[in-house]
Amino acid sequence: MDVKNLLSTIQANKRLQAIIVGLYIVVTFASLYLAQKSVIAFLLLLASLLLLYFTSFSNRVKWLVGGLVLVVLLPLAASQGEAYQSYMEVATLVGIYIAMALGLNIVVGLAGLLDLGFVAFFALGSYTYGIFATSQANNFMPFGHYPLSGESFWVFIFIGCLVAALFGVLLGIPVLRVKGDYLAIVTLGFGEIIRIIFNNLDKPVNITNGAMGLASVKPPELFGIQFMYPSQFYYIVLIILIAVIFAVRRLEYSKIGRAWKAVRENEIAAQAMGIHLVRTKLMAFAVGASFSGMMGVVFAAKQTFVDPTSFTLVESITILVMVILGGMGSVPGVILGAAIVTILNLQVLTELTNWLNQLSLSGVIHVPDALSPAKMQRFIFGIILILFALYRPQGLLPAKNPVFDEKDLKDTDSNHPMNTGVHKGGTQHVHLDS
Amino acid sequence: MIEQVLQTLPQVLIDGLALGAVYAIVALGYTMVYGILELINFAHGEIFMTGAFVGTAILLTFSGLGWMASMPAILALLLVLIVTSVATGLLGMGIERVAYRPLRNAPKLITLITAIGISFLLQDIVRFITELKNGNYILTGPSLFSKQIGVKASAISSVFNDASVKSSFFIVLILAVIMMVALDFFVNKTKWGMAMRAVAQDRETAALMTVNVNKVIALTFFIGSALGGATGVLFAVQYGTIDPYIGFILGLKAFTAAVLGGIGNIRGAMFGGIMIGLLEMFAAANLPVVSHGILGAEYKDVFAFAILIIVLIFKPEGLFGKVSVEKV
Amino acid sequence: MSILTVKNLTKQFGGLVANSNINMEVQQGSITAVIGPNGAGKTTFFNMVTGVYQPTSGEILLNNESIVGLKPHQVTKKGIARTFQNIRLFGAITVLENVMVGMHNHLQGGLFSTILNLPRVKKEEKEARREAYRLLEYVGLESFFNEEARNLPYGAQRKLEIARALATKPKVLLLDEPAAGMNPKETNELTKLIYNMREELDLTIILIEHDMKLVMEISEHIVVLDHGEKIAEGTPDEIRNNEKVIEAYLGKGAAATAS
Repeated sequence: MDVKNLLSTIQANKRLQAIIVGLYIVVTFASLYLAQKSVIAFLLLLASLLLLYFTSFSNRVKWLVGGLVLVVLLPLAASQGEAYQSYMEVATLVGIYIAMALGLNIVVGLAGLLDLGFVAFFALGSYTYGIFATSQANNFMPFGHYPLSGESFWVFIFIGCLVAALFGVLLGIPVLRVKGDYLAIVTLGFGEIIRIIFNNLDKPVNITNGAMGLASVKPPELFGIQFMYPSQFYYIVLIILIAVIFAVRRLEYSKIGRAWKAVRENEIAAQAMGIHLVRTKLMAFAVGASFSGMMGVVFAAKQTFVDPTSFTLVESITILVMVILGGMGSVPGVILGAAIVTILNLQVLTELTNWLNQLSLSGVIHVPDALSPAKMQRFIFGIILILFALYRPQGLLPAKNPVFDEKDLKDTDSNHPMNTGVHKGGTQHVHLDS
Repeated sequence: MIEQVLQTLPQVLIDGLALGAVYAIVALGYTMVYGILELINFAHGEIFMTGAFVGTAILLTFSGLGWMASMPAILALLLVLIVTSVATGLLGMGIERVAYRPLRNAPKLITLITAIGISFLLQDIVRFITELKNGNYILTGPSLFSKQIGVKASAISSVFNDASVKSSFFIVLILAVIMMVALDFFVNKTKWGMAMRAVAQDRETAALMTVNVNKVIALTFFIGSALGGATGVLFAVQYGTIDPYIGFILGLKAFTAAVLGGIGNIRGAMFGGIMIGLLEMFAAANLPVVSHGILGAEYKDVFAFAILIIVLIFKPEGLFGKVSVEKV
Repeated sequence: MSILTVKNLTKQFGGLVANSNINMEVQQGSITAVIGPNGAGKTTFFNMVTGVYQPTSGEILLNNESIVGLKPHQVTKKGIARTFQNIRLFGAITVLENVMVGMHNHLQGGLFSTILNLPRVKKEEKEARREAYRLLEYVGLESFFNEEARNLPYGAQRKLEIARALATKPKVLLLDEPAAGMNPKETNELTKLIYNMREELDLTIILIEHDMKLVMEISEHIVVLDHGEKIAEGTPDEIRNNEKVIEAYLGKGAAATAS
């Protein structure tokens, strides 16, 4: 009873919320700033965004505070320790995966199409930049001198976006004629086909350098500054991610978003409403793919190395887990899901493994190597998928429908045919003489 | 080029048949479950893989205990097959009970996701058990029936090269045929088989005819998984070395076979399996030759996927299936 | 003037003939009922008119233009809207959004203009919301506008299907068993709604119905199907006393008694 009362008091009082959130941010910021290397402080500061999400401030305030944390506070606090780059590395990768998960969310969550080969678009983006930003392109391009300078990176973000979108459509055209149940398997097949092709496209013309991959990808360059550190890529990712979130938000509650949801809910009825099924689904594929394509370019530039092993089925399923965990069709949910899964993969599992190793060394308990958490990735993903599918299919932060304001909707035009007739059922319409 | 193709043909046919038999029986598991639940049991490939591991583990134990020397290999194999099929059958039944039954009325998407989850789970469970016992997740079983037999195909026509066959090939083929015939008999000539077909056609009406639908579905899973597990043992015997990830790709190809033959159609699945096996071996042997080294052997997987995609786009009811019209 | 003409329309599924040589002319602005025992082929007929099924043979003309071969979304664009026998709402989204989906073809918002949140898209969306609300008021569902469609009571769901169909701005409205499962009060409201729609919205209405009271009261013209064929056609009075119709519904004995 106490907790419920406490929560409702907090919910009602905005000042209280401001104080709690403010205090939380200050504390976590300080701990991160002062600690040499504290993964927990880092994660807690990041979690302040989640706290912010649950407050009842206006969207504008939430975005401002969140922006402050992400753009200023987090990098500043992290920069004081020796683990600065590794924090930023995690944050950057989280951002990349959030964008990809948002893309898959459009395909799976909004349009209801289970795509199991989604990582292929990420691969396309990476290879698009990788091929032209290394000397690889010299092998087959009749003109130009490669690698292109790092300044071309910025253009390539758009090129990667378009290439991925194009392939989204090309892949979609055959795939969408397949009955719903089979869509998953066909997309899985396509994902594997693309990976195998990339792995073997070193003959007859060496386009991708096969299994050896592309090394020494040119780092991005702007006004002479080269972007080589995760802390720099962090900002690139942040900017792209914000653009992606904006785009998704707008699409969600638009004619296109409604068409996607209608197709997901009931294809036959959607058609009866005049919705072109194939075109709508292709658009979902294209938009979802384009997000991955852009981040693929960034990924290639950041890792400076591109090879097919980064783009396997496990990656596609990982992104799917993010969407399911967070909540299919829910933008905040998917963001949370992506953050949790990425951090789980990158930090939690490795830290846990290290900790258990230390315990083993000091003889406290002996955890065999086979069971080391870092290796248990599939097990954990499997459990998450099963548990959520069985007990919480709507995810951690379920998708919410828009809430309209009745005042906005009432119309006072007395010449409208529907307003002049006699109405049946429900409330009488009131005529306002203007 | 044609000469090269013809030369390798006998070996291709033999290898293709062996592989095709494996695909055929695994395909049966997919097709039976789809016929009855309209669910693609993603985890079925992992059931096959589990069977391979359980069987190999038992065989290794036998070897370790020195039993292998004292009994004929075929007896050991049959023993292992029975134990493994019961084990995997129960595993399959358990999965249905725990993960699929609660979701019978949920949207298909959710059930598919559960199946993927189980697939991943099984892969990792087998991996860490194997790694715990063995230090490595790749397992090599004791070699059974490994005598190589030469097939003098060149005697038929000088166009053909001689082929060589492991003696396990015959065991695998014979047992596979026995299993397929037994299943065909069961489904078409017994009461429970009829119940299975009834539930596949119309679940509600079957229930009204006092068919215990839950029991029938459990039985379907048991049989499909038992057969899949047994095939896993045969696979391990035939190819020797296994790892926890063989189920995935093989499952995909077996599913392709099921679709090719017409999903829900048991005889079609058998036919599809043999076809895919033959086509795959043919591609593996000849793609590099035909494409002058451009397309490597890894493209044989692409070949299988491509078949799947083409069939699903142009003839989704498969070669022997019926076109279904959705009621509006 | 005949707005919808159907000539020798036939639909065969393998060995089963669902519709056989149906001929029909629907006058603009009329209210026509298609009735017949279960399995007569009524919904199949609707499905062909709306492009869900392709006819095996025959012709369908809307305003003298053939619509055979068009896909369902194209048929809707031409001006035919429908509701479904088994309710097909977009369950997880709100009632208001369900209606807005119907406006799909009348909204211009493209991919880029939506992402950039251009003023004309904002304006269009605002107008669309108001229009949708008006439609909800028209059928009496405005109090549910923020509710998830699947949470609606049964009668309300049926009304929502109608509001949604109206959002497509059709010329011809096909209602598939709109009164199914409704109590007398709801059926009364539906009757008045159908009349209103015809008058105020300049619609031609065709309905499949089993509720004979509703059919006899509201229809100007009735077409009777049985076993895929048209067995009778005429005014309610003519149909009421038609022997073949009585036989189809009640059997030969009843027909003999009636005459």
